[in-house]
Amino acid sequence: MTLPATEPEAPVLSIRGLHVRLSRDGRASTVLDGIDFDLAPGEVVALVGESGSGKSTIGLTLQGLLPAEAQPEISGSIRLAGREIVGARPRELRDLRLSLVRAVPQDPMGALNPTMSIGAQLRESGLSADEVLEWLARTGLPNPRRIAADMPHRLSGGQRQRVLIAMSMAAKPRVLIADEPTTALDVTVQAQILTLLRDLAREHNTATLFITHDLAVAAELADRVMVLYGGRVAEVGHTRALIAAPSHPYSAGLLAARFDLDSDRSRQLGTLASEQLRARPSGAHCNYVTRCPLAEAECSERKPDLVRRQDGRQVACFQSNRVPDLLARVREAPSWPEASASEANALELYRIEKSFGPKRGILRPARQTQVLAGIDLRIQQGECVALVGESGSGKSTLLRIAAGLLAPDEGDVSWFGGIPPQVVFQDAVAALTPWLTVGEQIRDRLRPLGLSRHEQDKKIAEALKLVGVDPALQHALPSELSGGQCQRITVARAVVVPPKLLLCDEPISAMDVSLAAQTLNLLGSLRRSMGMAMLFVTHDLAAARLIADRIAVLEKGHLVEVGEADQVISAPQAPYTKMLVGAVPRLGGSQEKLQTFPPRERDQSDALAS
Amino acid sequence: MALATELSAPTAPPAFAWLRRVGWLERIGLAGVFVITLVAIFGPFFVPYDPMLRVAAAYLPPDAAHWFGTDEIGRDLFSRVVLGVRYTWLPGLAVIGIALLIGTVIGVFAGMVGGWVDALLQRVVELFLVLPSTLIALAVVAALGPGLINTMIAITIFWWPWYARMARDEVRRIRARPHVEAARIAGVKGSRLMLRYLLPGAVPALAVAATLDVANIILTLSVISFLGLGLPAPAPELGAMTSRSVDSLTVYWWLPIIPALVIFVMSILANLAGDGIRSALRGA
Repeated sequence: MTLPATEPEAPVLSIRGLHVRLSRDGRASTVLDGIDFDLAPGEVVALVGESGSGKSTIGLTLQGLLPAEAQPEISGSIRLAGREIVGARPRELRDLRLSLVRAVPQDPMGALNPTMSIGAQLRESGLSADEVLEWLARTGLPNPRRIAADMPHRLSGGQRQRVLIAMSMAAKPRVLIADEPTTALDVTVQAQILTLLRDLAREHNTATLFITHDLAVAAELADRVMVLYGGRVAEVGHTRALIAAPSHPYSAGLLAARFDLDSDRSRQLGTLASEQLRARPSGAHCNYVTRCPLAEAECSERKPDLVRRQDGRQVACFQSNRVPDLLARVREAPSWPEASASEANALELYRIEKSFGPKRGILRPARQTQVLAGIDLRIQQGECVALVGESGSGKSTLLRIAAGLLAPDEGDVSWFGGIPPQVVFQDAVAALTPWLTVGEQIRDRLRPLGLSRHEQDKKIAEALKLVGVDPALQHALPSELSGGQCQRITVARAVVVPPKLLLCDEPISAMDVSLAAQTLNLLGSLRRSMGMAMLFVTHDLAAARLIADRIAVLEKGHLVEVGEADQVISAPQAPYTKMLVGAVPRLGGSQEKLQTFPPRERDQSDALAS
Repeated sequence: MALATELSAPTAPPAFAWLRRVGWLERIGLAGVFVITLVAIFGPFFVPYDPMLRVAAAYLPPDAAHWFGTDEIGRDLFSRVVLGVRYTWLPGLAVIGIALLIGTVIGVFAGMVGGWVDALLQRVVELFLVLPSTLIALAVVAALGPGLINTMIAITIFWWPWYARMARDEVRRIRARPHVEAARIAGVKGSRLMLRYLLPGAVPALAVAATLDVANIILTLSVISFLGLGLPAPAPELGAMTSRSVDSLTVYWWLPIIPALVIFVMSILANLAGDGIRSALRGA
């Protein structure tokens, strides 16, 4: 804004009135409902929204890759480097994909041919052997020559993602689409990949659409943020300004629910919106109205237009001047219920050893990998311990051993009173039997108690109320419920007969921020009010710190650090813990690791969006 | 406040959503199977002539009075084919049903119990699978004597192991899924685990396989009848009718061709219906 008003660069991508309808089982639904948007060369814009917001559909539409079986109906205009995409012939689209738009996918393994060496695949996309090595080196891969000769399965997830970034950037595209490129990666790798993407985008003046559900990741990377809800643009603005002062209740809700290492752990997380319902209303009203805490009569009668304010922010909300009050309300989130703890151990793991792989045969040496090496861990009654580690650290194996699902090779597991614990699984939908009503599945926990059917019904209703689900839903099948409701049902099944110990296996890792916050609140409240001990397995240090009294850090099967939650975060002892803590993205946006290049003036970008 | 969040009821999927997943060819198959079953049950009550008696001159070609013509002793071929559908279709369904029952019980039991019981039952199943099926069926019929019931027994003997193996594999697969693990942790065990948590998961695969097998059973039944080991002579079984008149193919073409065509159409429709059931169950 300090610059004089110069002629703005022509946008490389310009979307006007984009509507997309997709069909499933013969029913068409509107996935994108009037998107207007511009992207300037070299600009990084984050598309933020929860699943179902349409953020991935934008990326697919740009590439002309909407699934044909969904019979996509596209209207509006997408101009990419001056060429119209809507209505383009397949041949033209292929051309565009080759030269103008490239994408970095979510799952790097799925995008590489498992039968071809990395070098051969890169050469197939038109690079010479020297260029291959040069690009591999530029993406920070050590020893490019060795990588080029390797097959994809020999690389780590982060290395594969670097290869794909090299493949995309080497084509010198005008627009790069990165659809959640780091969700499949460990936190320590995430930060490096984000830095690499941003570096390359700036160096080559490539406009980047960064699709994510995580506002903190967006904050680290993007010049501007576009918040999508239900196929419409809720808010567009400069990253820092938007995060400092959101103007749409949905952005405010995302921000309030977002937690990091600085969140207040003495009280529950602030959640503004209620859970997303299955039916998404679209029509002449604000489509956030069913969840919005600020909704007025007006909101359900007219559709709010995306209005441009003085400061360049664009918001689609009638009540945006009341959003600051809303944020103040969040700070008064309720505190946790009174907890009770006792000296007795709810779980005791003693020198647990576990290896996988073929045992020694008559003619074959043992080829076993040790997954857990001498783990000692005790959880007192009423206490919550978070077990933190990256993929492959053995944390899930330890949980399965603690649950009695897996026998350790060596060592002992003992539960208080010999009562087996209950488990909350990572994928709640998969943990419910699809052909039984959720009420029946909860009832199966009550059967051994010898209660009358009437008493069972009463207990089921109580458990459902406790987790915040309408008891009438006990007659629903899991497929009729949302993911969040399914997670609450599995919790209800676990606590309908209060267990002494609850084991949670990454219960929030697949969730959107608002849902994750609600689940953490639920589990944190329940374990305190019921006096349950809890083992909370996660790769998310911020979640671990919020939920747990103590944090145990697992690195390659060894417990490297166990301590009070705040202490582990603020003064980590083990080098591995230090690395994990340093890699957690924060909203503040003051990331030294991303300040290695001069920040470029991008203030004119909002002027383009009008 | 998460705990106070009362969630409203979900929108139920529309009725007949499963039908949308079924292609139009497959719908024809499903409708056709339904019609064939009706014809097999009720058709013989409404046929224009007694299928067992001489009603006209022999070897009349198809015309308005005798739609499919008459056979070598002047019986109405249309009436005989309708009765033949009953004698072919209903035993086919019965064989499938019995084989499915035996196979599922053994397979689910083996899959759930595992260990040496599973190993033993698997070897028994394999023993049946490696036997040359048609030969064994012929041997059984030869030993027990020709007749519909004996033919059905013979076919069932080598048909159930396929379902046993499939049910067993399905149960092993489902057993490893998180929802069964979750049910075990919740304290479900024994017959309840088997009948309510494991068996329903195996049903779709078995249902599809069984429907697709209807065509195979019809063909096998017809082959055995064709070889003269099915129903004894006067009864109009479609395979037997084709077999007896195949010599007159060049002269009285309708005698072998029409029953053979009916077998062909039934097999195709049953196959399409099997595909239809697979499509319908896919999204469920």
